[in-house]
Amino acid sequence: MTTMTKLDPFTLEIVKDSLLSAGDEMFVALARTSMSPIIYEVLDYASGLTDAHGNLLTQGNGVTGFIGMLTFMVKETLNKYPGEKLKEGDIIIINDPYQGGGSHLSDVGLVMPIFYKGELIAFSANKAHWTEVGGKDPGSFTNDSVDIFQEGLQFSCIKLYDEGKLNEGIVEIIRSNVRFPDLSLGDMFAQVAALRTGERRVKELCEKHTMETILAAIEYHLNHGELISRQELKKLPKGDFYAEDFIDTDGIGNGPFPIKVKVTITDDEFICDFRGSSPQVPGPMNCSYTGLVSAVRAIFLAITNPAQDVNDGVFRPLKIIVDSKSIMSAERPVPVSNYFETLLGSLDLVWKAMAPHIPSRLNAGQFLSVCAVTLSGNHQDTNEPFLIVEPSVGGWGGSIDKDGASGQFCFSDGETYNVPVEVAETRYGVLLDEYSLRQDGNGAGAGKFIGGKGVIRSYRALSDGQAVTVTFGRNKFLPWGIDKGHEGSPNEFYVKKSTGEVDGPYGVYPRYKLNTNDVVQLMTGTGGGYGDPLERPAVQVAEDVKNGYFTVEEARDYFLVEVNKDTFEYKELAGRN
Amino acid sequence: MRVATDIGGTFTDLVYVDDNGNFGIAKSNTTPPHFEKGVLDVIEKSGVSDSPLTMFIHGTTVIINSLTERKGAKTALITTKGFRDVLEIARGNRPDLFNVKYDKPKPFVDRYLRKEVSERLNYKGEVLTELNIEEVKDAVAYFKQEGVEAIAVSFLHSYVNPSHEQQTVQLIKEIWPEVKVTASSDITQEWREYERTNTAVLNAYVQPTATTYIDRLEQELQEQVKIDQRYIMQSNGGTTKFSKAKESPINMVESGPVAGILGAAVLGEMIGEKNIIAFDIGGTTAKCSLIEDGEVKVSTDYYIEKDSRNAGYPIKTPVVDIVEIGNGGGSIAWIDEAGSLKVGPQSAGARPGPVAYGQGGTEPTTTDANLLTGRLSSKNFDYNVNLENVKSAISTKIGNHFGISAEEAALGIIRIANSNMLNALKLISIRKGHNPQEFTLLAFGGGGSMHAPALALELGVKKVVIPVASPVFSAWGMLMTDLRHDYIQTYIKRMNELTIDEINKQWDEIERNAFTHFEEEGMEASNVVFQRFADMRYLGQEHTVKVPVANGEWTAAQKQQAIEDFHKLHEKNFTFNLPDAQTEIVNIHVTAFGKVPKPQLLKLERNGTLEEAKKEVREVYYEEEGWVSTPIYDRDKLPTRQTIKGPAIVEEKAAVTVIYKQQKLYLDDYGNIIIEKEEN
Repeated sequence: MTTMTKLDPFTLEIVKDSLLSAGDEMFVALARTSMSPIIYEVLDYASGLTDAHGNLLTQGNGVTGFIGMLTFMVKETLNKYPGEKLKEGDIIIINDPYQGGGSHLSDVGLVMPIFYKGELIAFSANKAHWTEVGGKDPGSFTNDSVDIFQEGLQFSCIKLYDEGKLNEGIVEIIRSNVRFPDLSLGDMFAQVAALRTGERRVKELCEKHTMETILAAIEYHLNHGELISRQELKKLPKGDFYAEDFIDTDGIGNGPFPIKVKVTITDDEFICDFRGSSPQVPGPMNCSYTGLVSAVRAIFLAITNPAQDVNDGVFRPLKIIVDSKSIMSAERPVPVSNYFETLLGSLDLVWKAMAPHIPSRLNAGQFLSVCAVTLSGNHQDTNEPFLIVEPSVGGWGGSIDKDGASGQFCFSDGETYNVPVEVAETRYGVLLDEYSLRQDGNGAGAGKFIGGKGVIRSYRALSDGQAVTVTFGRNKFLPWGIDKGHEGSPNEFYVKKSTGEVDGPYGVYPRYKLNTNDVVQLMTGTGGGYGDPLERPAVQVAEDVKNGYFTVEEARDYFLVEVNKDTFEYKELAGRN
Repeated sequence: MRVATDIGGTFTDLVYVDDNGNFGIAKSNTTPPHFEKGVLDVIEKSGVSDSPLTMFIHGTTVIINSLTERKGAKTALITTKGFRDVLEIARGNRPDLFNVKYDKPKPFVDRYLRKEVSERLNYKGEVLTELNIEEVKDAVAYFKQEGVEAIAVSFLHSYVNPSHEQQTVQLIKEIWPEVKVTASSDITQEWREYERTNTAVLNAYVQPTATTYIDRLEQELQEQVKIDQRYIMQSNGGTTKFSKAKESPINMVESGPVAGILGAAVLGEMIGEKNIIAFDIGGTTAKCSLIEDGEVKVSTDYYIEKDSRNAGYPIKTPVVDIVEIGNGGGSIAWIDEAGSLKVGPQSAGARPGPVAYGQGGTEPTTTDANLLTGRLSSKNFDYNVNLENVKSAISTKIGNHFGISAEEAALGIIRIANSNMLNALKLISIRKGHNPQEFTLLAFGGGGSMHAPALALELGVKKVVIPVASPVFSAWGMLMTDLRHDYIQTYIKRMNELTIDEINKQWDEIERNAFTHFEEEGMEASNVVFQRFADMRYLGQEHTVKVPVANGEWTAAQKQQAIEDFHKLHEKNFTFNLPDAQTEIVNIHVTAFGKVPKPQLLKLERNGTLEEAKKEVREVYYEEEGWVSTPIYDRDKLPTRQTIKGPAIVEEKAAVTVIYKQQKLYLDDYGNIIIEKEEN
């Protein structure tokens, strides 16, 4: 603290801003140099800087699901290479789900120590979803694996660069074990370039402001984050809060699996206790402990202060308790490919426990699934192979002051973009029949403030021998409403064959075969409603009918408003106040 | 005589140049909602109405205001069956990652006014389903009954084949001639249905307002002034005739702000500066744009209401690349929840304005900080300044919190404001792979000259130029513009499959189209100049690089050159290239200029001594120096080519230049202030 007093607050603020902008720059650099759509389009990666102990200073995120993972990668690195073992120029590669910082094998992390004048002062780190890491299925992304060995290559915190020298052996192993080595290695080197951008910027800051100033600014920055969190914590209701729910399936026929939380909020702590949740499962829905930490951190930010800059100081009041070998703290060698579904399930528990008590920050339940779709085949005109890997948009919950958002990616995604119809039809061997909001017809999401609508996206195969793999969570247990708000609708899909036969609905399905003119109709869920539907103003209900968000029957049955289907004149029925 | 008028938030500016190259300026209040009145006021005030005007160029905020204030027309949409919700689903992204109550942008057309009709093209533009005329008629009848004022038509793949959109528009015009109608393919020929549909919808939404405004302006001008040619400034940095502007008013969304950038490029060419960072600081925001090798960068990646936490609305029309941040002279300094000093984006605006104005402002602003540190003098203000009030506001709101003096707090405000602006400048330079040392910072607007020298030291640029007419430089830029139209066509072709014949046919078609447009505007073909680009990428990539390509008839050599230039540019932009990978074109882009004669800049020769130009010596508070006795000069009296060493201040009407001890300054032969770093 002695250095602190010598520095004026504006210099600290300016250095802090420079660190944040270095983080942004690293983030942009990775997207700009990547060859993989999952990185440059879905932004399924994170990058940032930590201090010399692994405390996160700044993290650029494209998705919420990665928050917190960089810290644990760095801590694992410090653990494995203590003291002199870590050298300037080293870069560590890590994707082991069961070690610190792991999620699933597709997310590959790189960690680089930053030295200034021989002293370790910070780390530059990133983690990105590679298109391929090997394993049993193309894209490495599978919903019916039975152990980790089917899911791809494992890097258990090893040196990719040793004092600046590339370990060619690792490169060769990757090249011979993945299906699209140019993409995977291209992304790896893009990650390396981004790390070096971070290193360069931190060193420049040291040159300009002295190392002492930088270290003081780091301390100031972390304390600033903690201060804001503690101020927000004081405003929260105190006590114990509970929620229970289920994970539908493990993808290979087992389930549903119960999960539960007790949230305890005191003046200084925010404790999430998941004990009593299901043990780890045979299929790939298991979530690693790191995944659980990210889940809780993401919803903690939503509850406390979604607008603030994220660093480890912010999370100091947070504590997590969980049984070992549970579905949300899985251990070697159970499969984890679809860990994000349980990550979502875990954070949704905290959300559900707290939502009724913090209506200004939290809304009702959402469709809560990445709703991942993989569609492969050959293009009808060029006969070239194509591979669609994409998440889907769906409905979010209503809240105390507004209707839920329709057609938006789930909470663990974020700055994620859907693939335009015109782009999809040009690149892939499909024609889209429909991309529209879902009309449930059964009052799903009804409330004073209604749940946002799920979406229907229908792909028509234009060649024979296509295969679609669908992983939709929340197929059996629906998005929850609050305070008499109705539940939403399930994520589900149907296959409408050219023969007229209709198959479905399904939630999770590996490699469903499609031939020319077979249509896979993907339907995501509508979000939960907030408040009593009878309190929704009748004029608003009439507008909902006019806009086709609800039918005349739904208006009558669930909102007690009789709406004329032609003129949209309305009449309130007995039973409304 | 040539006249430009630029409507700003507070003032309507006018700059004129007569046939001898003499410039003059005038300012008048902006007069919402009848903006044309302010234009006529400023014309009258300037006295230019007495002489015949050869050219009148106008920049307006009417379009952007109508969008941001949601005061456009009741708009409906006709689209392909199965896809009316494309406008509402949008891209599904949520930039405000941890806010679960994120407000997704609401579409400009309600769902009941989005009607689907049967029709379908495939990605090659082949018709899979014919357009159903009866369904179009039904939709139009419904819209009529609902009191719709404007209709947008947007069908899938219309960028390849616009025939269904054209048929629909034709039909609507026949059965309902009064309604405004926009086909998406008339505004943009790029793929991505959400972006194209939204662009068409916003064009329709502003069209009635724009038409009324332009008609009224034209009529009033005709009554009061004799003008040969009337032009409106477009977002692409060029002008168009009034009549054309009414067809696609969305092209005027950044009319005004881009003119300063264009002006920077033109002035740069005159004084031999090809690489420029143009930097404009106004009352509420600062804007910057990078000009490389004399070329103003134009793209269609434009959004309104987009920032790091909001997805905004895309508009796929050509707009000069500008980065804008909420930091200007009126930006308010404040302490955040955790005790850190922040500046902006809230602004005190023109009313009540900074504390210094004495018009009721209580929040300290950047301008107040500049006053308290001696960078500004009370004499620079049109108001009676009470310095004690300024000092007390800065102490109470900022200084006391940190236990420091008002002056130290004021310097803190300036440093934070500079840090914000520096990040914006880095964003367009270093982060895009440019070395700032190879650029000149050209600063203008009311606050540009105040902050630019300090920023130049931080950024490492070698030279700063404060141009003539710097406080009204945007309007000056308008005087220097040509007519301009950009034609961007999505045209997906792998380079190894592209034949010379087909590409020549494409270029020819676009350029013939351009000649027709210019002919309608009365521009002679001999004054038309083309510039061609191809947006290219490696096969499988998403991001494209804009590659300047050869004009005229192509042979295999031009095609090969395009591929080689792409590899080079890719390496520059993205740090690597893949010489063996396949390349493809995504869009072809032709910029067509209709050249108009430019007024010449008069050379200025002013003799005399620096001592005669000196107004006073004032105490100025500098970073790391404290109070320094600083000479203050009058720009209008500065002799040319005589060097002043920093620290020093140069004052002019409505702007002040502050240089540091590491810098020196002189007036060049055109009256521009040139600031350079002192060589040690």
